[in-house]
This record gives sequence, structure tokens and C-alpha cells, in this order.
Amino acid sequence: MKVILHDLDWQYSQRLLTKCDAIVEADGKYAPCKGCFGCWVKHPAECFIKDKLQTACRILGRADQLVIITKNLYGTYSTKIKNVMDRTIGTSTPLCVYRQREMHHTLRYGKHALLKVLVYGDITEREKATFIYMVKRNAVNDGYNKSEVLFFHSAAEAERAV
Amino acid sequence: MKTVLVNCSPKKRFSASAYLAALQSFFLKGKKVTKNLRSKKDYTPVFEQLKDADSLVLCLPLYADGPPSHVSAFLEEAELFFLKNNLHPNLYCIANNGFIEGRQNEALMQVMENFCHRAGINWCGGVGIGGGVMLNITRIVFVIQTAIFFIQYIIGIIQTGLFLNTGLLYAFLQNAGLLLFFNSGVLFFLIRMGSAVNKCSVSGKHYTRILLPSFIFILIANIFFTLLSLFQGGLFRGWLKKK
Repeated sequence: MKVILHDLDWQYSQRLLTKCDAIVEADGKYAPCKGCFGCWVKHPAECFIKDKLQTACRILGRADQLVIITKNLYGTYSTKIKNVMDRTIGTSTPLCVYRQREMHHTLRYGKHALLKVLVYGDITEREKATFIYMVKRNAVNDGYNKSEVLFFHSAAEAERAV
Repeated sequence: MKTVLVNCSPKKRFSASAYLAALQSFFLKGKKVTKNLRSKKDYTPVFEQLKDADSLVLCLPLYADGPPSHVSAFLEEAELFFLKNNLHPNLYCIANNGFIEGRQNEALMQVMENFCHRAGINWCGGVGIGGGVMLNITRIVFVIQTAIFFIQYIIGIIQTGLFLNTGLLYAFLQNAGLLLFFNSGVLFFLIRMGSAVNKCSVSGKHYTRILLPSFIFILIANIFFTLLSLFQGGLFRGWLKKK
């Protein structure tokens, strides 16, 4: 299953929908994570906040390929995208194991094939390096076998590259 | 000299970031102000304090390998604030994560450094701390142990009339020493960073952790989450299943 998570305008979703099986629109119309661990220990894979991200982890968790289209923000994901990532940690479980010689949570939906991140907007060389490192870290943490980061000047270019 | 410490945890009570902010504050000289950052309404009080601050210490948890989204949103506003007001304070960062390895905060540290370059403020480094949740629990355990010690001490006086119970005191000090040992790496680096903040100098990036072997830490973390899931009911609601 190919899933796209993007922070582009809603018009892009129509076109992107033809290129994937599911879309998560990061439009910012949802609350940030409260850090309660409820999606692990109270209602597994479900956030207590009743908005559009309440069960979003169930979509991201099933992705063999996850494509993230995000604006650059200091070498990491835009606030809208990061909000979705924070609210979807239910893709993992509270139990911990060693993965690549580090402590990580076990994966509720098992391993994934590819994490592809398409970054658009103004970005410095230092921020590019941070982004590449960040995505590698995410890939290990979320159990992706492979990760890829591509940089574009505009959102339209990033959209075309999917 | 004025330092503004910002506790960026979204939790209202008992957060590891609040604990670390309090610890760091203890080693700072001059005027110290601690503010919470949980939502947009907290921006103005933080910015008000930053107008005449020499240093800013951000204490935050690691979420999905980076800053939590409410902190990202704050950084965007802070960049505009610093540029508009032509302010150039020093930024220090105390990041904590639930995993044992403090080095897992490296990506977050790089993001903070990039933010400083954009905002025109001085990146002075930080401390990345592994096992933040468990370190936070050690302070709660310490408070409970201290309370139990005093209760037992008073009962001892009533029962025996003796004011010095060396056995009880020894047991208390032994437990307190063990908790201090677990925290000693964090204390060392916070003292070191506190010294840098006081001198307005660069501290550099350092990583530390709760001083426990990782396999014991993982075992304790798994027991902790199992018990928490038992009491919260998640254990009976498809705890580890695909949903």
C-alpha cells in the first residue's frame, strides 16, 4: 500500500490520489500531541483527541511505501507534517527492543519498504544535511528498510516527482 | 544577566522537561525566569521575557526524532520575533527522550542549530539526555522515599523514644545515593552547561543518559508500560494488535 502524507493545498490531493492508495492531508486542522501515551496504553492505535488524526496511525502503519511531501523548516518537517507524525506514534507499540543496536519501540504493523521524503522550499546546505540525517533516523525508528530524500524549489515540482 | 528557561513539555504536571529545567535553573546565576510553552497563548509571556534576556534555555522532549510540533510552531514565531526586534540572545537546549541513548537527540540538536542561523541568534549547544521519563520517575521516587523515611522516623521516636535510628537513616541514604548515581551523568553535564550559560559562552553538544545498562533499562521500560497498560485498560483492547 502506497500512502502520501502532504502539507500542500487541498487541490493537490485530487491529483495525488491517482498516484497512491491513501492520502493524509496535513492541513493543520488538528491539535498537537499531548504526550499522554494513551495511544499505547489506553486505547491502542487511537488518539484520545477526537479530530481527523484520531486513527490516522492506522493508515500510516499500513503503508509499504510512505511518501511525505513537506516544506522545509530548519532541516526538518513543516509544523503541519510534524504534528501528524507526533500524533501517529500508535504505529508502534509501547514495548521496546534493540533495532540497529539502539532502543526502539516494536512495530504494530511490522516492517515497511520505503520512506520517501520530498522537501520543497528555501533550504541551506546545512539544513539539507540535517534533513537527510533526520529521515534516516525516522526510517530506523519506524522500521523502514530504505529511505530517500529529494529536494525541490517549489511544491509543484515536488508533487510532480511523486 | 538574565536567563529565560522554557519548559516545552505539553504535559501540565510531572514532565521530565520541567524537572530538567528546575535542575538547570539551580546551577544558574543572575535573574532566572521559567516559563511554560504548551500552546500559542504562551508565546507572548515568553517573548516578553526574551526582550531583555541574555540567554534562552529550551527544555523539550524528543518527539519522533525531532522537536514536538507545538515547539516547531513556536520556533517559526520566535524567528520572526528575534529578527523584528534585532535580538541576539544565546540559545541552549536540553532535550530528553524516552529511549536510553542520549545521542538519539542529535537530529533535534541540529534543527535547533539551524533555527539559530535563520533567527540570527547564537547557538551555544545543549545536552541530549536518554531515559528522560525514567529520570523523571527517580525524582518522584525520591520524594516518596523521603516521605516514607520521615513517617518511619516519627513512628520510631514514638515507639522507642530514640531520636537517632542509624539503620533507618543508612537505608534512606543508600537509596538516595543510588538515585543520585542514576542522575549523576545528567547533573555533570547540566552543571557544565550552567557554567557556560553563566559565562555566556559556547557549551557544545553533549549526550548523556540515566546511568543504567541498556538491557536493564529496556526490561524496566517494558515492565513499566505493561503495568501502565494494565491499569489504563489498553492491555485488554488489542494492546499489540494491528488495528
